[in-house]
Parts: sequence; structure tokens; C-alpha cells
Amino acid sequence: MKDVLSNATDAINQVLLGKQHAVKLAVACILARGHLLIEDLPGMGKTTLSQALARVMGLSYQRIQFTSDLLPGDILGTSVFDRDSGGFVFHPGPIFAELVLADEINRATPKSQSALLEAMEEGQVTVDGATRPLPEPFFVIATQNPASQGGTFALPESQLDRFLMRLSLGYPTPAAEKTLLLGGTGRARLDDLKPVLTRAQLQALQAAVPQVTASEAIIDYILRLVTRTRESHLCAWGLSPRGSLGLLAAARAWAMLEHRAYVIPEDVQAVLPAVVSHRLRASEDPAGHGGGSLAQRLLNEVPAV
Amino acid sequence: MTSYALIPRNSLVWLLTAQVVALAPHLPRLPVWVAALWLGCALWRVQIQRMRWPYPGFLVRVLALVLVTTGVFLVQGTLIGLDAAVMLLLMLFMLKLLEMRKPRDALVVIYLGFFIVAAAFLFDQGIPLALFQCFSLLVLVAALVGLQQTPGRNDPARAMRTGGILLMQAVPLMVVLFVLFPRLGPLWSVNAPGNQARTGLAESMAPADVAELARSGELAFRAAFDDAVPAQPQLYWRAMTLSRFDGRTWSRSRFTTAAAPPEWQPRGEPIGYRVIAPASNQPWVFSLRGASTEDERLLLTGDFVLQARQPLGRAISYVASSRMDSLLQPQELDPLQERVNLQLPEGSDPRSRAFAAQLRQSHPEDADLVLALLGHFNREPFHYTLRPTPLGLHSNDEFLFDSRRGFCAHFAGAMTFVLRAAGIPARVVAGYQGGEINPRGNYVLVHQFDAHAWVEAWLPGQGWVSVDPTFQVAPERIERGLQDALSEEGSFLENSPLAAARYRDIGWLNNTRLFWDDLNYQWQLRVLGYQSERQLEFFRRWLGTADWQRIGLISLGVLLLFMLPMALWILRPARQPRDPQQRAWQTLNRRLARLQLQAKTGEGPRHWQQRLEQILPGQKAELAAFFAEYIRLSYATAPAAATPAATQLNLALRNLLRVLPRTRPRRSITSLDLPG
Repeated sequence: MKDVLSNATDAINQVLLGKQHAVKLAVACILARGHLLIEDLPGMGKTTLSQALARVMGLSYQRIQFTSDLLPGDILGTSVFDRDSGGFVFHPGPIFAELVLADEINRATPKSQSALLEAMEEGQVTVDGATRPLPEPFFVIATQNPASQGGTFALPESQLDRFLMRLSLGYPTPAAEKTLLLGGTGRARLDDLKPVLTRAQLQALQAAVPQVTASEAIIDYILRLVTRTRESHLCAWGLSPRGSLGLLAAARAWAMLEHRAYVIPEDVQAVLPAVVSHRLRASEDPAGHGGGSLAQRLLNEVPAV
Repeated sequence: MTSYALIPRNSLVWLLTAQVVALAPHLPRLPVWVAALWLGCALWRVQIQRMRWPYPGFLVRVLALVLVTTGVFLVQGTLIGLDAAVMLLLMLFMLKLLEMRKPRDALVVIYLGFFIVAAAFLFDQGIPLALFQCFSLLVLVAALVGLQQTPGRNDPARAMRTGGILLMQAVPLMVVLFVLFPRLGPLWSVNAPGNQARTGLAESMAPADVAELARSGELAFRAAFDDAVPAQPQLYWRAMTLSRFDGRTWSRSRFTTAAAPPEWQPRGEPIGYRVIAPASNQPWVFSLRGASTEDERLLLTGDFVLQARQPLGRAISYVASSRMDSLLQPQELDPLQERVNLQLPEGSDPRSRAFAAQLRQSHPEDADLVLALLGHFNREPFHYTLRPTPLGLHSNDEFLFDSRRGFCAHFAGAMTFVLRAAGIPARVVAGYQGGEINPRGNYVLVHQFDAHAWVEAWLPGQGWVSVDPTFQVAPERIERGLQDALSEEGSFLENSPLAAARYRDIGWLNNTRLFWDDLNYQWQLRVLGYQSERQLEFFRRWLGTADWQRIGLISLGVLLLFMLPMALWILRPARQPRDPQQRAWQTLNRRLARLQLQAKTGEGPRHWQQRLEQILPGQKAELAAFFAEYIRLSYATAPAAATPAATQLNLALRNLLRVLPRTRPRRSITSLDLPG
């Protein structure tokens, strides 16, 4: 089982070079049943990562390109009159897939964004008064450009909070980029990727994540972290209980990826920036471009032991 | 390094705030240009901070010093003495802004601020100032805290909070010192600030002076009685006697105030009371007839008046007891006193003299004559008013026979004149009459408008007898006070529309005024009046001794009682955690601290282990064993599960401690502290 996980991350690493940490976080996010938000400049490999994840995990896959004129119906599906049956027939939208890639989610209007985000939270969609369940498992990997880019509708805090993690890929290392330029990786190899996991395996792994031991000491550490965000005058607001639950789940998944049956503080520290930085905002930062530095301060200032 | 340690912006804001607050109580006493000077200094300092203006050079500073000193000299007329010294201190406090370069200078400014806060109490010791100075202390301490905050991470609210906590922590010590610290006499004599004119009795009495006093709603003194307060008509507060008359003004005579107390026969029940009088810069204190006291600061003069040995530079509180029916000097008057108390200016007031001679003819007995004269005041159409007709050269004649309008000073002066002219030794007694009873504190409140003058005549066998012609004319003045006596005329406190005493008829306002006065009274009595005398009294009552040695021991004991728990709390050993793995963890870290090795705050055990393994490669195996066991115990146990035994961990710890070096290996010192 564990080898399967290693194989999966290795396979993705072959497509996305030099991003082991981000890839591992993305896998941990899926193991912890969380939705993933990837934020970075255009052309940094966001879509590549999400596609590679979908293929390796062996999930059915749909991609929605978000644009400013995208309508909720384009995501959820619409009812169309069928002449043969003499009634309306529901044509499911692209959201009815196990893994949905919402590309450039912040280019769509808030109305369309919320259609997706409701589905993420509820695991079902309601169209024309009929509630239809979404497949199980159901993941959303959303990508977005930084809010400072033109033509974007920033996701509000309430919707950011629904993503377990927010990742940023960053520029590749010169060595990785050289390999990329020499050819032989990237999109071209994406097609060669074979599913490493079956759906059953993935579900078994996901079911095993809550079994990872989180001792009282580690719970106390998470509490210290969360309390600090709520009491510090640096943070405009603190982490929600959803945030602390997510932090624990992600740390468990990370421990599993480390082939350990229990969580240690280093696991929490590894996932903390990805889990909390989009949920925090510095008091002195009204625009709210994220709490990356706050996460770093939490790591440095909250006693780990 | 120090040359870069400039005063950061937020510190400057703190300093300026603290300065304003510390200066504020002084400013009303000082000319306006003082405030302007502060504004100028502050502006200059701000411009220095903004790098617009340079620091003033040596010459400018010397010039400023000379100008400021000259200014103080021009305002105060001297450079010596309390007022001038305090003013100079304030000026230099402001100028210090201009040579404030380093944080050390800022500290000097703050410490000076504390001094200036204390200096304000030289001029005023009231409750409002005391409260304001508490606030000043808070701001100054907060400024001290603020100076220590890192630039860019200043938080005024937090500095205030920390300052408040510090001050609150100092309160118990303050209370202990207040109660127990010996009240030492001043090391050198400081004259009380003198430039403030205070209303009060003067050494001489011209009618206009008394009228002036009657317009003042200021407090003259307060008196608390041991038992019930005597009736209003009995409250004749003697301050001094006036025996010399120059035709217009009655004044004190050196002869009557000779310090030798003449013989007198105490009679009647003693009435005990405590008088609390504010600073007046005069030696007058106030007592009822037949007074005696054990207070060493007071003496009984030859005219049966209590008087302070020193002018009252600050508030005084003393205990006296009076036997009001006493016979004062009943046997005989010595020739000198007789002459003094019969003295009249040559040739003045012929009609009064004729009237006296006429009275003398019909009443050969002195006592009859006095009664007849009082009856004259009662019978004739005299009118009590604070707006008398101006009097000319023979003031007594004009008053007695023409205008017949006046107040106590006129009546007393005229009666004394007639008595003397008839050959009866007499003098004017000046003081206060009546007072307002404050039911809250059960004490009497005597205002300046209660100032009064009456007559004392010497009768053989009876001694000095007090008579009050005003009572014959306007009994309501004596029985109910000045306000009632003037109700028709409406001249009560007519020039002070804001004087609270004017509005006694408004219930809540009057209650508030009396409450406030009671508060001030308790403040005077218990806080300001807590001087050596009362301190000794306190010691005797609560500690059973007034012996300084024993008191010192007791204070030491009390102090220890406070400090010991605090010291124990501060020096308490680091709390022993309950779980064995935490204990082992702390043991190891304490041992590592001796090698200057310390886990970073946010460092997890695994990272710490990795770092240690780099620094101490020789102990790698033992480190790994300990940390593996530690992590297993701390993190591999589900919260609900039973705590596993820590024998392995303790074993690993012992092994590790045994192999750890005594000193830190040198080789790696430079590279290790870099964050990993």
C-alpha cells in the first residue's frame, strides 16, 4: 500500500520536475479528502499538476475552463426538452466527475464560482428543483491566478475556507528547467502517465488516514497554533474550527506519506503553510494577499514541544 | 552601535505626550509664553526627527538657557526660592527636548517628568490633582514601556496596559510606605510657594476688608466635634483680637499678644474638637472661647487666642478643647493692657465720645453700660447690609448717628469705640461665626463669608466678656448665617455666581457640594493630615507602641510578609510537568543549555534531533535512542490510551547524559547557529 503511494508521487514528479514538496502536499490533500487550490502565475504548471494527479489517481476527470461569461448551468448541467420522450431530460454538466479541475477559477463571476463551491461543500447539486448526488469520491482541484492579475474576481474568505490547501508552485530550479528545456518531460509525458492507483485503493487509503495516531501532545500543539492565530494582534482573525480540523487531517495524511503511523510536530509544520495561509490575513494587510508570512511566524514562534 | 541608536518616532510621540501630561498641572500658574516655549521646543524636535532642521548648536543652547533664566527672573523677581526653582526646572525640562539624541536622553526626560509630577504637589494637594497625577504617572510609566518597544512594533494600548499593571503592582508597597515610613522633618527649610494671594483674615480690620471676605465662598476651615455640634449662636471662632485703633482701622497690638498666657478660671463642660485649616501663610488658627490645646505647634497668646508658632505654609490639623463659660482674666488688668484697651485716637469722632459720656452718666456700673449700649443697637433703626454707605472722616460718628447701615465690622468697631470712650477696656475680636454643618461627616464647614467681628469688654470680676452688637441688629445672621441675613438684599456672594454655596436651596446640588466637601475633608484628615502626630497615634493604637525601633522591626516584618510570597513566586522552580517524557525532555534541555545548545521555539523534536546530531556527531547513537523513545512516547500514543511506562526513555536519557561532553565542541560553533 505504501509503495503504491510512493509510486504515485514518483510518477507525478516525472511530469512536474523539481516540485517534490508541492506534489507531496497535493497528494496529502487528496488523501485527507480535501479540495485543492493551486495559485500561481500563468505557465507555472498548475494545470499539469492537476492533470497528472487525476491520471495517477485513476479517477474520472473533467476540466472546466472558467471564464468571465461562464454560467452556473455550464458547470452543473441543464435540462433540455427531448422530443422523443416528450419531457425534459437532464444533461449533466462537467461537475459530474470524480475529479474536477476548475481552471482559472477566479476568472469567473462570483455567481458561477458559487455554483462550484456549493457542490464542493454539499457533495450534491440541485438543478431545476431536483437534487442529484455527485460521484464518490469527489474532488475539486482549482487553479487561480494571483489576485493582482487583471480580470480576476477574488474568491471571498468563506469560499477560500472550503479548500483544504492552497499551494503555490513557484519557479522551477535551474536544473529542473534545463531538463524541461531539453525536452522529454511536461505535457508530452502527461499522456504516457498510467493510473497507479485504483479507485478502491484510493478509498482504502483515505479511510486509513483518520486511523493515524494523533497523540494528546500533537493535539495540544495544534491548539497552541490555532489559539495563537486567534489571540495575536498580527492576525486580522483567527483560524476556524474547520481550519484546525483540516490541519489535523492534513498532518495525518502527511504522516502517512512519511510511512509513519503517528503524527509528529514536523508533520504539522510541513502542511501548516499550505493549510492556513489562505485562511489568515495579516492585520496590516487590508488587501489580503494571504498570510504566508503569518504561517512562517506561527512556525517560528509557537513552541512545538 | 550606540551612534545608530537614535530615538525612534514612536518614542518621540510617547515623550511629547508624557511631557504635556506632566506639565499640564503647572501651566495655569505660569505665563502663557511658557506654553509657547514648549510648543516651540516640541516643533523643533519634531523637525529634527523629520530631518528638516538640525540640532541646535552650542551657542543656541547657551542663548536659550540665558533667555529662559532671564524670563524666570522677570516673572518671579528672583532665581532663588521654590517658585523660581520649579519654574526653572520646567523650562529646562522643555529645553531638554532639543538635546535629546540618544535613548539615554529620553530616559532623562522621563525621570525629570516624575520629578515634575511630584513638584506639582508643592502647590496643590487636592483630590483632583492627585487623581490627575495618578494618570500622569501612568502615562510616564507607559512612555518608559513604549521606549523599550521595537520601532515599528509599537502598541500604545499595550504600553498603557503594561504601565497600569506595573503601577498596580506598586500600590501595596505604596500603602505600606505611606503608613509606616517615618515622616522626617525637611532637611532644609523650603518656604511655601508665596505668590498666590489667599483670601483670609488680615492683621488689621477695615470694614472694606471684611466686606471683601464676605463675598468669598472659599473654605476657611473645617471643625469636627467630638460630641454634638454646639448651637450656631455659640460658634464664635476666635482668630485674633484687635486693640489698636487709628481712626479708621482696627489692628493687632503687640502688647496684647504677649506670649504669657494670663490667669483664667476654666468653667463649664469642655468641648473637644479638631480643626483642619488649609494653608494660609498666616499664623491664625481658630478656636472657641476658653480654648486650650496640647499641640506643640500652637500657643495661647495673652488675648486668649490660639495661634500657630509658624505661619501655616501648609494645611494644619490640630485638636483643641474649649470651656466656653470660663472667666478670662477676672482679677485685674495690668496697667499696660488697660492703657492699650482704652486707647483712642486723638480728636476723632466727637459725637461718639459725647454719647459715651452721656451713657456713663446714666449708667455708673460698667455691666449696665454695656447692656444699655447693646440695647441702643437693638432699639435704634440700624440696618444690616453688605452695601453700607461710604463713611467719611469720623467714621464711627457717621455710622452711629447718620447712616446706621453696615455689617459686623462697623457694629463691633463702633461699640468698642463707645465702650472705650466710656472708660471700659474693650477690643474687637475677629474670626468667624457659625458655619455649615455637613451631616455626612458630622463636621462644621466654615467659609470665608462666615467672617465676623464682635466685641470683648473687660468687666471687673467677670474678666473679658464677649458681646455681639450684630446680634442685636440682625439676629438671623448669628442664628442662621449670612445668607439668611442678606436674603432681602440678595447680596450674598453676589460677585461669584458660580460659588456652589450660593445654591444651597437646590437639593441635589447642595448634597453634591456637601458630599464633595466631605470627601475633601476626609482627604485632608486621613491622607494629607497623616503626619507624624497622627502616625504615632496610629502606631500606638494598632501596634501598641510608638518606639521607632519596634516600628522598624514591624515594618520590616510587613514588608517581608509581602515580599516573601512574591519572591517565592518569582523564584519558584520551573513547574515539574506531570508526564515523564516532558520531565526527561526538560532535563535534557537543561543539560544541553550548559553547552549553549537550545531548541528554537518552533523547533520540532525531529529537527532538533537532526541539528544535535550535526553538532555532536560522537553522541549520535545515544541521541537517536533518546529521541526515538521520546517521540514514541509523546506522539505514538492515542489520546485515550493508557500512558506507557517511561523506563526505556529514562534509560536512554541516562545513557545520553553520561556521554554528553562538558563543553561544546569548538569545531562547529560558527556554522551551527545558522537557521537550518
